[in-house]
Amino acid sequence: MIFIPLIALLVGIALGLLFNQPLPGIAGTYLALACVAGLDSVLGGVRSALESKFDSEILVTGFVSNTLIAFGLGYLGDQIGLNLFLASALVLGGRIFTNLSVIRRYGITRLRDARARREMLNQDAAPGPKP
Amino acid sequence: MNPFATRSSGYQWIWPTSAMALVLGVMLTMAWITAQTRQSRFSELPTDVRDRLNAASLDFQGEYFKVQQELKSLRESFGELREENTKLQNAVADQTKSSQLLNESLQEVKTFAGLTEVEGPGLMITLRDAKNAPEGLGDYAVIHDIDVLKVVNELWNAGAESISVNDLRVGPHTNFRCVGSVILVDRVQIASPVVIRAIGDPKTLEGALDLPLGVLAEIRQVEPAMVKLERVENMRMPGFAGSTKPKFMKAVPPKG
Repeated sequence: MIFIPLIALLVGIALGLLFNQPLPGIAGTYLALACVAGLDSVLGGVRSALESKFDSEILVTGFVSNTLIAFGLGYLGDQIGLNLFLASALVLGGRIFTNLSVIRRYGITRLRDARARREMLNQDAAPGPKP
Repeated sequence: MNPFATRSSGYQWIWPTSAMALVLGVMLTMAWITAQTRQSRFSELPTDVRDRLNAASLDFQGEYFKVQQELKSLRESFGELREENTKLQNAVADQTKSSQLLNESLQEVKTFAGLTEVEGPGLMITLRDAKNAPEGLGDYAVIHDIDVLKVVNELWNAGAESISVNDLRVGPHTNFRCVGSVILVDRVQIASPVVIRAIGDPKTLEGALDLPLGVLAEIRQVEPAMVKLERVENMRMPGFAGSTKPKFMKAVPPKG
């Protein structure tokens, strides 16, 4: 099940390649920042699902607003001569790392849970005196 | 009771997340730097990103290398054909006095334009990238297109009659450019060491280049070994091997 978003991502890339409309110039650079924001949102969605507090409305609005804000901040920064692009990239990059590490921890916990559960079942099923 | 029940969350998150991932995928392809957008995207990128991308496109340069080889061999055959052309012109001109005169002036113009192989005394300048430049001089330790351009310009000014750069003859339209770490002379790649040869009075040419605060002074400051000047008693240089056919300009007929 966890692979479905991954497959969706690949399908999205395939669709994009089909249309083949790469943005030229500076807009492409802002869109790259928006992509980082989108990646952060998607990973945040997976993370919240693992934390059992998933809310689809928060995810969708978060995705849209984060990408727009990232795009807009990149533009604004260039207009007023501040490297807001770097600031956004830094924050979003950091958040991607955090999200990924949380997801990894949950994955490991699940594996350990499964292992522990199997051992408990085995113990219950085992006949004879317990050690 | 199952103690792990609280950790399972159901799967209603899959579809919204997947939808967002799909949009993200499309966005990624749009933001990707492709061959089409490369040109327009590059000018907007910070230099460090640009350098990394350049380093990553070595594959592309492999293809480029092949084209370069082809260009070189084509230029060689072009030079041979032009020589053949001169021979034919001479043969035709042998017949009458007037055609002989005509041919003389034609050959004079061809020599002036750098279309023929020439020989004579001159100066040989070797520019090479610094081997052990002081730390942090990075960009200064490398020979750039602008260095070549400056030297060639100074040589013309000092009365050089013909110049070649790495055996590529400098013709009327010759340009020096830089793509990544290579110098292009009329679109042919050259790299350090750059050997610039000029036919003219060796002493005068050397003096012009050795002027204090001259074109070479800055390079020598980085490392004196980057520049080597050599007077040569006699050297040959090939003719200009590029196209000379005009596309747009036409000669204006003389008045009267």
